[in-house]
Amino acid sequence: MKTLLGQQSAQRGFTLIEIILSLALTAMLLSLLSTGMYGVMNDWESDTSALDERLDETIAILQLERALQGAFPHSYRDDESLGRYVYFQGADESLSWVSAVSPQRSGGLTAWQLESVNNEGVYLKLAPAMSDNPSPRLENAEPRLLLPHYTARFSYLYEELDFSKRWRDDWPGQELAVLPLAVHIRLTPVDARNTGDLELDIVARIRANEHRSIRPAFPGSGFSNPFAPSPQLGGQ
Amino acid sequence: MNRCRPRLSSKRSQRGFTLLEVIVALTITAMVLGSLFALAAGSKQLAFRSGQSLSTAIQARAKVNFAFLDDEYAQVEIAIDDERFRIRSEEYLDPVARKTEPSIYKFQHFEVIDERTDETVSGTRWIKLELAE
Repeated sequence: MKTLLGQQSAQRGFTLIEIILSLALTAMLLSLLSTGMYGVMNDWESDTSALDERLDETIAILQLERALQGAFPHSYRDDESLGRYVYFQGADESLSWVSAVSPQRSGGLTAWQLESVNNEGVYLKLAPAMSDNPSPRLENAEPRLLLPHYTARFSYLYEELDFSKRWRDDWPGQELAVLPLAVHIRLTPVDARNTGDLELDIVARIRANEHRSIRPAFPGSGFSNPFAPSPQLGGQ
Repeated sequence: MNRCRPRLSSKRSQRGFTLLEVIVALTITAMVLGSLFALAAGSKQLAFRSGQSLSTAIQARAKVNFAFLDDEYAQVEIAIDDERFRIRSEEYLDPVARKTEPSIYKFQHFEVIDERTDETVSGTRWIKLELAE
């Protein structure tokens, strides 16, 4: 009995201080580890989301290029002047055009509108082109932020009388009655989030420039548009 | 306590870990954790690099498109204006079985050889002929 008791007492446990010390050490180690893991996971998350964003950007840019290449000289009748006009409204910070390419692969023509908003990004609006002027439908369409953190500048290629090619930064399709030879969009990052951000370019050649019946009224082309009244007359 | 010690050590040799064992265990843990962290860092670098190469690809595409604006028939010689690249023309493709009208274009195989790295890119291009066939 005595020996048993002695054995029992000999097999003593840890003292309170030992346990507290070991627990504190373990807790410290675990917390260090977890903060490390947290940092790593955070990093991982931000990396994957940055990569996802970049992938989305790339797909958007390729899709825009396709849509611009597929630009179509869509014409509509103006209710007031009764003239027929080619729809293509190009400014240096926005562009509306009608394309045979639609993102939903739906049939028919689609009107696309890109607008660069300072410090926000490039917004896209989509609307079916139908057979009339798609501007009102585009205005009611829901804008989507397509390329965040970028500003866009548009320029349009045309050919002079001497066959030299020049860029201009606006393209009123209603007056010129023809589409440009190519569209160039320069995307500049708003704030350099990291050094990996570079200026990007979208260059798209437009093959279908001329409407089948509306002759170009472009000064360089030497034609006048017999269907559309001149801009001065149109206002009266 | 002194009384107990001999009995304890003799009856049950309940020893703790030796320093060596602890060191080995810690080293193994550290190695496993280190490899995990290295993996995460590697993936970070990979993500960054792939993001950059996406941008580079977009820029290269824009450059190619720019070159094709000046050169409607996509002649590789004009688009690739660099001494580093050698362009070798290969044989023509077989003409199409049925033509609705004579054409002044033919398909031709070609290869672009990078003189520095000896890499080769092959493709097919239009060739504009003097006379329609």
